[in-house]
Amino acid sequence: MATLAGCRGLLSPSLNPARLLLSRQARAAVTGAMSLGQAAASPGEKSQSAGILGVRLAHTDISIPDFSDYRRPDVQDPKKSAQDSSETRKVFSYLVTGSTAVVGVYTAKTVVTQFVSSMSASADVLALSKIEIKLSDIPEGKNMTFKWRGKPLFVRHRTDKEIAAEASVDLSELRDPQHDKDRVTNPSWVIVIGVCTHLGCVPIANAGEYGGYYCPCHGSHYDASGRIRKGPAPLNLEVPYYEFADDNTVIVG
Amino acid sequence: KMAASVCRVGGAVGRAFARARGPTLLSLRRSQATVTYAQSLLGAPETQLTTLDNGLRIASEETGHATCTVGVWIGVGSRYETEKNNGAGFFLEHLAFKGTKKHPQSALEQAVESMGAHLSAYTSREHTAYYMKALAKDLPKAVELLSEVVQSSALSEAEIEQQRGVILKELEEVEGSLQDVCLDLLHATAYQATPLAQSVLGPSQNARTLTRQDLVDYINSHYKAPRMVLAAAGGVNHEELVGLAKQHFSGVSFEYQDDAVPVLSPCRFTGSEVRMRDDAMPLAHIAIAVEGAGAANPDIVPLMVANSILGSYDITFGGGKHLSSTLARRAAELNLCHSYQAFHSTYSDTGLMGIYFVTGKHNIEDMMHWAQNAWMNLCTTVTDSDVARAKNALKASLVGQLNGTTLICDDIGRHVLNYGRRIPLAEWDARIDVRTSFQLPDYNRMRSAMYWLRF
Repeated sequence: MATLAGCRGLLSPSLNPARLLLSRQARAAVTGAMSLGQAAASPGEKSQSAGILGVRLAHTDISIPDFSDYRRPDVQDPKKSAQDSSETRKVFSYLVTGSTAVVGVYTAKTVVTQFVSSMSASADVLALSKIEIKLSDIPEGKNMTFKWRGKPLFVRHRTDKEIAAEASVDLSELRDPQHDKDRVTNPSWVIVIGVCTHLGCVPIANAGEYGGYYCPCHGSHYDASGRIRKGPAPLNLEVPYYEFADDNTVIVG
Repeated sequence: KMAASVCRVGGAVGRAFARARGPTLLSLRRSQATVTYAQSLLGAPETQLTTLDNGLRIASEETGHATCTVGVWIGVGSRYETEKNNGAGFFLEHLAFKGTKKHPQSALEQAVESMGAHLSAYTSREHTAYYMKALAKDLPKAVELLSEVVQSSALSEAEIEQQRGVILKELEEVEGSLQDVCLDLLHATAYQATPLAQSVLGPSQNARTLTRQDLVDYINSHYKAPRMVLAAAGGVNHEELVGLAKQHFSGVSFEYQDDAVPVLSPCRFTGSEVRMRDDAMPLAHIAIAVEGAGAANPDIVPLMVANSILGSYDITFGGGKHLSSTLARRAAELNLCHSYQAFHSTYSDTGLMGIYFVTGKHNIEDMMHWAQNAWMNLCTTVTDSDVARAKNALKASLVGQLNGTTLICDDIGRHVLNYGRRIPLAEWDARIDVRTSFQLPDYNRMRSAMYWLRF
């Protein structure tokens, strides 16, 4: 028999590996039936799948299915290198992933906040923090007291004489200098918290030497603007935050 | 350098002795005879290249051996086949040595045998080669026989029928070579729906149905002189070879019917996966690859160096924890796999760069993780010493591969087909040395692509 020697893979992987180098082997006479089908019999016959014979086909018979239904338009053409469009495809994928991530994080944050804040004060409790006062109920010169946030709230409807008098007070006389206009939004209405700044007693309205309030505990005299004039208290009566919803209504808090 | 200077000193001492005691005594000249690596590269014989009128190229390297390898390398392979004739090249390779018009099979075998020569062939995705290893003095006869095999193969009907069975048997046997099966499947899925997906062997259906006419058409479409290279290495004289080529290969056609020149279109790479699962097999053979550089792309040099850094490993290696590649060290320490190798298959305009590994079923995920980790580390933690080592290993393997006339001849044939010329070792050396520090910014994306987007 001739020595037709075969030659297996010549080169190591680092240079040129996975080419299939297949050998030509001299073989003894080949008998008829092959396990992959009767080759000698009728090659022109219609394909008899070896599956019928219960034998595995060669790996070269495996065909990768067509995935063009799932491909992006850039990579539909098998004759075009995928490198050309790789930048755009990657950018798109990263962009979609990135924005989904951002939206996802925001959604998560919102959901968590909603659940956590459900444990905080409910609306009815929060409503107690504000008080709505109808001003038409208070005549001129009169002071009304309301309970607000556990403290007394004085709402005084001032006369023009009182307004003028308070506006003209010299600031150098005051222990805690503050001009009247800095303490009121609408000069007709003085709204202060009725807690003496000395040791916390409740002053009496329309009493004292300055036409305002007088604290009986230690003798602090406040004027019609709530400023301390005489006595041990160091600061003026506190002015809370309030808004006039309309001419007739004020919301404090 | 140390060795060279010691030799020089030794030589000088020897000469001093020789002068003192007489010229015939103590001649230490021999120890000066070592040639440096650079000198040996530059001293390699040049590959001479000639082109015939019909476009056929002849390239040869005269190495001074008493034997030679001469062959025809043709730029055709399974990439040029269609679904209908996939496997034709392989079929032809089987029929090549079954007789020509002038030499029927027994006469051909006799002619080859009486020279004591070996006649071989191989087919790959882009190249086909028919070559003969013979004594240098038998070059004329070898070229004559090769020219007949390539140009006037008998392709008898009886032989074709017989070879069908042989091919089917071979297909069956290849199933046992799991590395080949795995890498075939890798190509099938990576280049799906393109000609590069086709295996060289072709599907079993084609082995049953290809006709003589299909094979003749294949030859007529692809065996053209401009796509052929007559390569030789060994004790061959280039002028003599050119004369023989003119004598035997002038008749090779260079015209295509209807001017239908087959042009290779690019092959789209698809990120994808294919699994052939068989739980009865003891080990898993896995290949993972990204699209690499084509043969003529200058980027193959850094990619080859990168693969050299990754290296290879086999459980039988004695180095254990002391292997130079970090992935190999991990594989040894953590028992990740039985073996792995980093590979880079290049085709004319594209390539597959990857890692092939064999492992047991419980280690697949770990090995995959560490393999990808090794890839990412190439982008970030490669040191100069790693690169220096890899470059040396690569240079050594390039030199070591040219071991014998057949390997040199194969090198010549493939280079001329890929690059149009032979790239000498000195040039490879220079290209490898150009990069003093490892720059892989362009390929970061290539690898990070598979790291970041896991869906």
